[in-house]
Amino acid sequence: MTERSTLDGGAALAITGSGGSGAVTAGLILLAAVGRAGYYGLLGRSAGPQIRGGESAAMLRFGPRPIECMGDRFDLLVGLDWENVARFADELPLDRNSLILTDAQAGPIPEILVRSGAQVRSLPWKALADGQTEGRVNMVALGMVGAMLGLPPDALEAGARATLGGKGGRVLAHSLECIRSGYAAADAQSSSVPSSALAPAVARWNISGNEAAGLGGVRGGVRFVAAYPITPASEVLEWLAPRLELLGGSLLQAEDELASINMIIGSSFGGVPSLTATSGPGLSLMVEGLGLAVASETPVVVVNVQRGGPSTGIPTKSEQSDLNIALYGLHGDAPHLVLAALGIRDCIDTVAWAVGLAEHLQTVAIVLSDQILGQSRAIVDPPGDRAFGAGETPHLQRLIARDADPDHRRYRPTPDGVSPMALPGLAGGMYTGEGLEHGPGGAPSSRAIDHAEQLDKRLRKLTGFDYGPGWAEIRGEGDHVLLTWGSAAGPVFEAAERLRDSGTPTRAIALRLLAPLQREALLEAIGSAGSILVVEQNQTAQCFAYLHSQQALPAHARSYARPGPLPLRPGEIMRALTESAEREET
Amino acid sequence: MSTPASPPSTQRIESVAEFLVHALELEHESAERYRQLAETMTLHHNHTVAAVFRLLADMSAAHASEVTARAEGLRLPEIAPWDFKWACPGSPEVDCDDIDVSYQMTPLQAFELALFNEIRGRDFYAFVATDSPQPRVRALAAEMAAEENEHVELVTRWVERERMSPTRLPEDLDPPNLQG
Amino acid sequence: MDVAVITPTLRAKDYKSEVAPVWCPGCGHFAVLSAVTKALAHLKLAKERVAMISGIGCSSRLPAYVDAYGFHGIHGRALPLASGLKAARPDLTVIVAGGDGDGFSIGGNHFLHACRRNMDLTYIVMDNEVYGMTKGQASPTTQPDWAKSKLTPHGTGMRPFLPTAIALAAGASFIARGFAGDPNGLTKLLVEAIEHPGFAFLQVLSPCQTFRPEQKEWKHLVHPADTAPTDDPVEAARFIQADDGMALGLFYVRRLPVWQPQNQPTATPADLEREFVL
Repeated sequence: MTERSTLDGGAALAITGSGGSGAVTAGLILLAAVGRAGYYGLLGRSAGPQIRGGESAAMLRFGPRPIECMGDRFDLLVGLDWENVARFADELPLDRNSLILTDAQAGPIPEILVRSGAQVRSLPWKALADGQTEGRVNMVALGMVGAMLGLPPDALEAGARATLGGKGGRVLAHSLECIRSGYAAADAQSSSVPSSALAPAVARWNISGNEAAGLGGVRGGVRFVAAYPITPASEVLEWLAPRLELLGGSLLQAEDELASINMIIGSSFGGVPSLTATSGPGLSLMVEGLGLAVASETPVVVVNVQRGGPSTGIPTKSEQSDLNIALYGLHGDAPHLVLAALGIRDCIDTVAWAVGLAEHLQTVAIVLSDQILGQSRAIVDPPGDRAFGAGETPHLQRLIARDADPDHRRYRPTPDGVSPMALPGLAGGMYTGEGLEHGPGGAPSSRAIDHAEQLDKRLRKLTGFDYGPGWAEIRGEGDHVLLTWGSAAGPVFEAAERLRDSGTPTRAIALRLLAPLQREALLEAIGSAGSILVVEQNQTAQCFAYLHSQQALPAHARSYARPGPLPLRPGEIMRALTESAEREET
Repeated sequence: MSTPASPPSTQRIESVAEFLVHALELEHESAERYRQLAETMTLHHNHTVAAVFRLLADMSAAHASEVTARAEGLRLPEIAPWDFKWACPGSPEVDCDDIDVSYQMTPLQAFELALFNEIRGRDFYAFVATDSPQPRVRALAAEMAAEENEHVELVTRWVERERMSPTRLPEDLDPPNLQG
Repeated sequence: MDVAVITPTLRAKDYKSEVAPVWCPGCGHFAVLSAVTKALAHLKLAKERVAMISGIGCSSRLPAYVDAYGFHGIHGRALPLASGLKAARPDLTVIVAGGDGDGFSIGGNHFLHACRRNMDLTYIVMDNEVYGMTKGQASPTTQPDWAKSKLTPHGTGMRPFLPTAIALAAGASFIARGFAGDPNGLTKLLVEAIEHPGFAFLQVLSPCQTFRPEQKEWKHLVHPADTAPTDDPVEAARFIQADDGMALGLFYVRRLPVWQPQNQPTATPADLEREFVL
């Protein structure tokens, strides 16, 4: 098994340094630069929970084909300094073919990294930086690494301009000088990784998962957001706040998540498509409000950017452990939509689709993203115009009552369970939105017949809807199936491809729509596969258990589930599938 | 009897139109209050007292219709709720009583409440009949005070009859338990 | 006096819905409902442009009894729901109604922030110093020695929450107290509250006939505030701190910046997407 990045002309590298050393900035510039050189790329970051200081690392993987996950290893480790590196050394798999670049003046390389057998080269970054006005080691190293990767100097400079443009001309000018000096010095050092720049037909995008989620929201029609800051979801909100204003909408920073969820219920009741973004602890606070939205049939979308849990957990690291709360967190029988973004680019389409579905079905949509999607940036192809039919036809919009409607009972049962929603201002449509069980007109009722009728209406409108092919992304054919959801799709897709390349035909199925589960379609996609492995990043195999509870898995399906914070890597998934298949055979 | 936020008005009613607006408000408020009491008594399964209040509501509604008929063709002023020239915070047949209203109210208590209100209504008209500087207002008010007095006499008879043989309400075996 | 022909303008009772209140006979909330409908009629507000928002509790049933748009949400969250609605729909008159438990206990944090956010909302708290719907437990405004609840058999032992003082400290721009026994005075305060541009807090002493029958004495205890409304927070604080909790009237009113987004679209999502293009 070989890794694609080394085959296809790309590379995986990590830049480490203590917080404030500029490792992340260098990574951002390098990502922008590889994008301009014609590569796809993915930039992840690792940081401690400190405001500043502590450890930080930028991890970049790039190549001529879309990059959907971090690989199994790094070709290059750029060590700006070694403070606190031990805290995340396990996120930086190196081997004898890896190369550690550092400046001997940064101190001894930690033993844990040396043990990997990686080669080490010391470079005079500090000396070069000292020769520059306001010289910065990270920029010198960046220039040198850029040269070693074979990136054109103008791509690096354009990357720096795009990334540092907001910092003022002086900072940019000095940084460019440092980059140039590093780049020039690299010639004397050597160059090892080949360049294979490709010119894309369409201009690609440089976007983070959190920005993509925000964009998906406004593409879906969201014009009001209320939210409370939380790691790692805040960037969704920070991206949206000024941009909603440009769109004629607004963002309200709430006093807490109890408020934010109820605020968007209010705005949506007023007729404005509304969204909030949060992470596990915030979602926990919101669930009572979500039940109200379900019962009152008020459309709302919650983007939940998952992090390590439970409780405060590991706020800055990724985990797919909020599936249970998303599926089951609401009290009562409260059917709602649960979706999961399958990648950074997919955050756009999945959130846009969720908005359309929530609006049309007058219900709650929870979209599960996570830290690794949200806070990573990627060079991607631009998205299509429409997300799985969102906005394509009127049927993914809210059904609004008109004065001429013969029957204005807000909760009257209809064949598809969706009843027209009157918006304040419509003279004939006045009603009271209700969290109490109610009759068709909205008056509170505890009668069995009303409860049965309304429960059925709220369930039927979700289960009877035709979601089309967007429920999952399916790649490849094979007797082996890797089944997954959310951000684990990236490493699963790569694992399946590498398995196929190495003679193990494997199909990858990544669930985008988790509830209501498209059970028949899933069973058909699994077919008669001889081995099935359900892959996810949590301790208790939450998706595996869910699929079993829905009788959506053959009995011989197995689980590969492990918690964060280490990202799932293709190699471990391949090993897990192989071992699982072997166990089946014996 | 305390006199909260709105102090009693000492202004005099000076035109027929103004008087009719007061009379309309008095009768409408009264009918509305009795209807609401009837509804809530029904909800609390005090059907005997609910029937009493329904009867009273109908009487007030009939009175309101009479006043409306008298006002036909007249231009009536609009008066803000707090600008009526009552001698108490609310209109005379509502809100000024000292009688407790509860779901365990007896018919006697309901009649006593009604009597209290009807007397206040009559007294209001009687007061205007002597106080208004306008002879036409005084005449009209006197006429309505006389009508209102018939109500007072009727309700007085009901109160007396009820006192002779009070209707007993069953003990409340299911104390208050609302759900929410 | 202005004279107008009788027109088909709406009377107070036209603003009442068909739903019969669940309140106990004698409950102060009936007077609040009456005051709300009188205020709406007086202001000649189109029913469909009014939204009544509430949480949970006896008083929170009020929206269903008003013939307007309404939302009966969850316990303690009426203010955020109303804030979201008003932010999205500034054209509506949004009135929030609830009780002392809903507003000052479970919803206490929202009360603070609604006061300081100063959106153009009217917030009526029907204060009867008790949880009625859950059968008579002590609320934040209950006196510390009230020991009639099995939940607090020795009383709460806590000083009561002072709604008007908290509202002032949190930055409310309109603070008033009304009494259910004075429905017309209450209507006047309510009209002023609705007309006030900003967050108008109206505490209404609304006796609970069932669990706090002793509150029938309130009608002998209330009294008009002995000063005119002030716009000086220091003066208001002095008055409120000296208040016996029974003064009625408008205590404090001040013009403060109102939080209300009023953005006009100047871009489309497609315009925003350009920032991502390499």
